[in-house]
Amino acid sequence: MRDQPTGEELLDTARAVLRDDLIPALPADKRHAALMIANALSIAARQLKAGDAGERAELAALEGLLSEPFATHTDDGPSLRDALAAANRKLSQWIRAGRADHGALRDSVRAHLDDVIRRKVAESNPKYLGAKA
Amino acid sequence: MNDTMRSALERFVATAARANAVAIAEAKLLSGGAIQENWLVRAEISGGPHAGVLDAVVRTDSPSGVAVSHGRAQEFALLKAAFGAGVTVPEPLWLCEDREVIGRPFFVMRRIAGTAAGHVLVKDERLGGDRAKLAERLGAELARIHSIRPPRADLGFMPTHDESPALHSVVRFRAYLDAHHTPHPALEWGLRWLERHAPARGDYALVHGDFRTGNYMVDEHGLTGVLDWEFAHWGDPMEDIGWFCARCWRFGAVAREAGGIGARDDFYRGYESVSGKPLDREQARYWEVMAHMNWAVIAIQQAERHVSGEETSLLLALTGHIVPELEYEILTMTEN
Repeated sequence: MRDQPTGEELLDTARAVLRDDLIPALPADKRHAALMIANALSIAARQLKAGDAGERAELAALEGLLSEPFATHTDDGPSLRDALAAANRKLSQWIRAGRADHGALRDSVRAHLDDVIRRKVAESNPKYLGAKA
Repeated sequence: MNDTMRSALERFVATAARANAVAIAEAKLLSGGAIQENWLVRAEISGGPHAGVLDAVVRTDSPSGVAVSHGRAQEFALLKAAFGAGVTVPEPLWLCEDREVIGRPFFVMRRIAGTAAGHVLVKDERLGGDRAKLAERLGAELARIHSIRPPRADLGFMPTHDESPALHSVVRFRAYLDAHHTPHPALEWGLRWLERHAPARGDYALVHGDFRTGNYMVDEHGLTGVLDWEFAHWGDPMEDIGWFCARCWRFGAVAREAGGIGARDDFYRGYESVSGKPLDREQARYWEVMAHMNWAVIAIQQAERHVSGEETSLLLALTGHIVPELEYEILTMTEN
């Protein structure tokens, strides 16, 4: 069992030191790099916190939409990432072929994409969703 | 700048400027530019039509850079064409394609002063002069760029295409996404929408290709020059309108719909004052979706330079994490 604090908590604490102690003391030409580091730490912390629950939900939703299982295994078989890539590749082909232009499939594909992209933005730049709401 | 380059440059400028003598008093290498080098140069010119002090920028291909055939020559031709059409650009003076002079092609352009940084411009109201006038001026400048129409022998290095420029872009983006390791179904959704709503090939003109806040320079009075011509191509002029107005290029000042610096109406009015015909508002919206798509694909490409190990860079790495908000914007704009 790992000792605490968790990796996510370490990133949060490191970011607070960067923001409160280091950035104010930095010369102007180094601030941009420091702000980029703070942003990178934030994204990594949010991804750690979210874990892979979101990507598992995305895969389950894709299996429902495409009516096809995409197996994942922890050892020899395809990883979650591989399975998601295969499923998303297939969804992309459907969209490109016009199968999601109209009707019930259009609505369910659209709802799925809205969910997935919201989840991605919530990790990459949650302020963006706040500003839009 | 070493003595060999300095004296070679002095001899070249003396001949090009029909001067008796040229002395380079100052030369400073500007940072940035993996492919080319930019030197700020102050030349003291004796005799001839350019006699006096010339503040100039010398743009070269980087000695270690990738081999871009005629890179500087093309850029010089674009600047000349723009300058000739009355666009405010750094005046292109002399091109040297002879590699014997300083070892690589270069050109000399007049130096312009000011600030270009987008995030500074949208926050600091003292820059750029009256903002309504700046937006109008930028519209007028863009219409002058679009007055340059093919065929042009001097710009023959850029291909023309018979199909709809919008569909041409859709095909190009799909080809990139197909070859990329991570599929992006939300971008596919946007591309399908762009395909179904694509305007036919209409006006066909010189498109700047990166006309946005951050790529023009201003001082406290107003515009001093339009920069960054490396993405120029023949295409639909509305592409530049969409790129300039797209939410993703407003640097957070989203209420100022013209590049984060002004009102859309002022920008359009300036454009129409030069183009002489009304701008199609509905098509502008289409091209703003295209702008987000274009930026999303570029962001994926930039991140891939980092991911592939070609160039380790936190800036490139973080650019990949802009993709989700671009996808979100594309979905929002293509609800119907």
